[in-house]
Amino acid sequence: MNRIVPITAALLLLALPAAAANDEWPQFRGTEAGVAADHPDLPDRWSQTDNVVWKADIPGLGWSSPIVWGDHVFVTTAVSEGEEPQPVKGLYDPGDEHGKRDAVASHRWLVYDLDLETGEVRWATELRAAVPIIKRHLKASFASETPVTDGERVYVYFGSIGLVAALDMTGEVVWTRDVGAFNGHQEFAPAASPVLHDGRLYIVNDNTTESFLIAFDAATGEQLWRVVRDETENWSTPLVWENDLRTELVITARRRVRSYDLDGNVLWELQGMTGNVAPTPFARDGLVYLSSGYPGSSVRPVYAVRPGGAGDISLDPDNPTDHPYIAWFQPLLGTYVTSALVYQGTYYTLLDRGLMLAHDARTGREIYGRRRLRPGSGFTASPWAYNGNVFVLSEDGDTYVIKAGPEFEIVATNPLDEMTLATPAVAGGKLLIRTQSKLYCLSRGGGR
Amino acid sequence: MTAGSTSRRRALLPLALGLALAAGPASASAQTLAFMPVSSISGPIDLVRASGAFAYVTRGETLTVFDLTNPAAPARRGSHAFPEKVWGFTVTGSLAYVAAGHSGFWILDVSDPDAPVLRGALKTPGQAKNVAVSGARAVVADHMSGIDIIDISDIDAPAAVGSVYTDGYARDVAMFGSRAYGVDHPAGFYVLDMTLADPLEPVGSLQSASAPRHVEVVADTPGIAVLVGGVPYDPLRSLRDAAPDDPRGTLQLYDVADPAAPLLMTTFATPGDAQRAEIEGALAYVADGPAGLSVVDLSTPEAPRVVGTYRTRNSARDVAVADAAVLVLDGTIRRGSHSQDDGDVIVLRQTEN
Repeated sequence: MNRIVPITAALLLLALPAAAANDEWPQFRGTEAGVAADHPDLPDRWSQTDNVVWKADIPGLGWSSPIVWGDHVFVTTAVSEGEEPQPVKGLYDPGDEHGKRDAVASHRWLVYDLDLETGEVRWATELRAAVPIIKRHLKASFASETPVTDGERVYVYFGSIGLVAALDMTGEVVWTRDVGAFNGHQEFAPAASPVLHDGRLYIVNDNTTESFLIAFDAATGEQLWRVVRDETENWSTPLVWENDLRTELVITARRRVRSYDLDGNVLWELQGMTGNVAPTPFARDGLVYLSSGYPGSSVRPVYAVRPGGAGDISLDPDNPTDHPYIAWFQPLLGTYVTSALVYQGTYYTLLDRGLMLAHDARTGREIYGRRRLRPGSGFTASPWAYNGNVFVLSEDGDTYVIKAGPEFEIVATNPLDEMTLATPAVAGGKLLIRTQSKLYCLSRGGGR
Repeated sequence: MTAGSTSRRRALLPLALGLALAAGPASASAQTLAFMPVSSISGPIDLVRASGAFAYVTRGETLTVFDLTNPAAPARRGSHAFPEKVWGFTVTGSLAYVAAGHSGFWILDVSDPDAPVLRGALKTPGQAKNVAVSGARAVVADHMSGIDIIDISDIDAPAAVGSVYTDGYARDVAMFGSRAYGVDHPAGFYVLDMTLADPLEPVGSLQSASAPRHVEVVADTPGIAVLVGGVPYDPLRSLRDAAPDDPRGTLQLYDVADPAAPLLMTTFATPGDAQRAEIEGALAYVADGPAGLSVVDLSTPEAPRVVGTYRTRNSARDVAVADAAVLVLDGTIRRGSHSQDDGDVIVLRQTEN
């Protein structure tokens, strides 16, 4: 391992104040499934030059999201030593081999810590250099898993090399574990992010060799348990669902959605997902929302599930409206890659080809049907919200600002003019958007 | 695909067929058409179309013209390479309209078969997969945006009108007069009215009873649209323990006299696994997978019947009808694969049975 540590890092850390409550975005989509606390500094207009506090070049290719703790911004990337083909935007038929391809050259897997205020790189730690042994989809990256932090350590999972690692806040490697590099049956490369809860780090990887869910001791890296999963592919990040009855680990997947207790025992399961499962399950206001929706499939469901289920809670296809644990169900509302957003009581769906829908989050009643953003634009990043607006970021780098509420209204379109798949982070009055080559820090008045 | 002219191909219909059709359902089980191979065009070939005495075949990004004046000896003429794979195309008169992936929509003048000339092109919003034309409009099945509507009144400068969103991935389009029809994957069926000031919303749409591969229009009966290759559609399929295995493609006949409310008239199981069809008059020439060529009489839409077959060596993937020949693309069919490494066009002469 090769660490690159600017000499000021240790001194800066000593001077850090404790992170304020809304200064943290410690995991994929934050702690509130994409909803950020309102803040007067958060912008609703920006461009490559307007409201830009700073922008930093991030080498290589990584579609993982940035995360924030205090004034630390962590990002991961995989840097090729060769000239890799450029990813192609949009949803398309990739032709033979379904778009899977080998890496051209050796890669280096890195974790960056940037200063939230200045964009200066505090440290960059290289965790491994190797030729990837698995393929990836031509639109995917070898660093698609978003890291997670508890403020003591930052945890990364690079599924493409099977590496799990914990680094302290100065970039020192605390522990590493090799869980094996496996691919799903379509060989698109993994993307499910790690999650943390109560001193444990959970990793899921569904593949064609031996799918698993592993719990590690976050402090030591000791494997606490490992369960084998009957799945062959999955890009969905697990959810730690702390509901009124218990805490459980919910994982959506092709064959079944399964909920595990914190010892790895299955509490309930539900079948009925589509073939390619990518949206992350999330919980809001007492319900957990499960979805999947490959556009070419006749199965694109959304389930709103109440806590307390046990055993098989799958819908009866001949009586899908009456179920003790499923509050509502829509057979054709699921998205392909984006995760949905619940904000101010409304369930917002961002279809991957650029349409928005809104439903009542409690009942599933439609508030408005498909509203088009822009024909031809693809959407992979998940929506987020603050200050009464919902934000959706296209693969072209354009963010559409949509007024939250019963009427669909685009109030602004903010371009960054570069391919963007990563879901942004919001913390400390700043919005962090990762494009293919850069990380933007945006805030009202930024750059003035 | 475009509904072709019926008059130019009447010569294909032997007297026996006319008599059989006149005889009505009582002779429904009778086979009235037979086919004899007279030559072939060696592949590998992805797609085949025909217009007049010419066949047009594609392999990858290249479209090649063959002269079928003597069907027993197809003569290779000119060709043109597009920037990307040709996913679908149609030939009307002296123009070939081509859907070529991310490179978009292209118009190729084939009036000189030895030297096709590129006329116009338009980058579509996403990946162009198939195309149909009628009058001054073209519609493109676009994997990303749905159905793109294009003004082709100036073939040297086609212009985007807009896109109609389709719920799934748009697969195929057809046009007849001012109507356009589209199908998506898995099961959407859309009817567009080009006379409307804003045609960017379908006047009719439904989740069909099937997951169709293609859509065709019965030119002799403009109120009938045919979805080809549909397999049973069930949005709750994954919840069922006993989902049907390997469902076979069918022909789904829809009454579209009321464009706002397409009505399923018939689901007809062809002998094989319908991949694509070309409709001439009231006959559907079906590339019927392992059954080869199946010709289905649609003159009584409520009761289609097979009136001719030709068993190919492998599987029929595509079909086209020329002035004096029926062309069947014979090769392997691999599920989930978009191009094959084989496929020859069998040139058939239609004979009386």
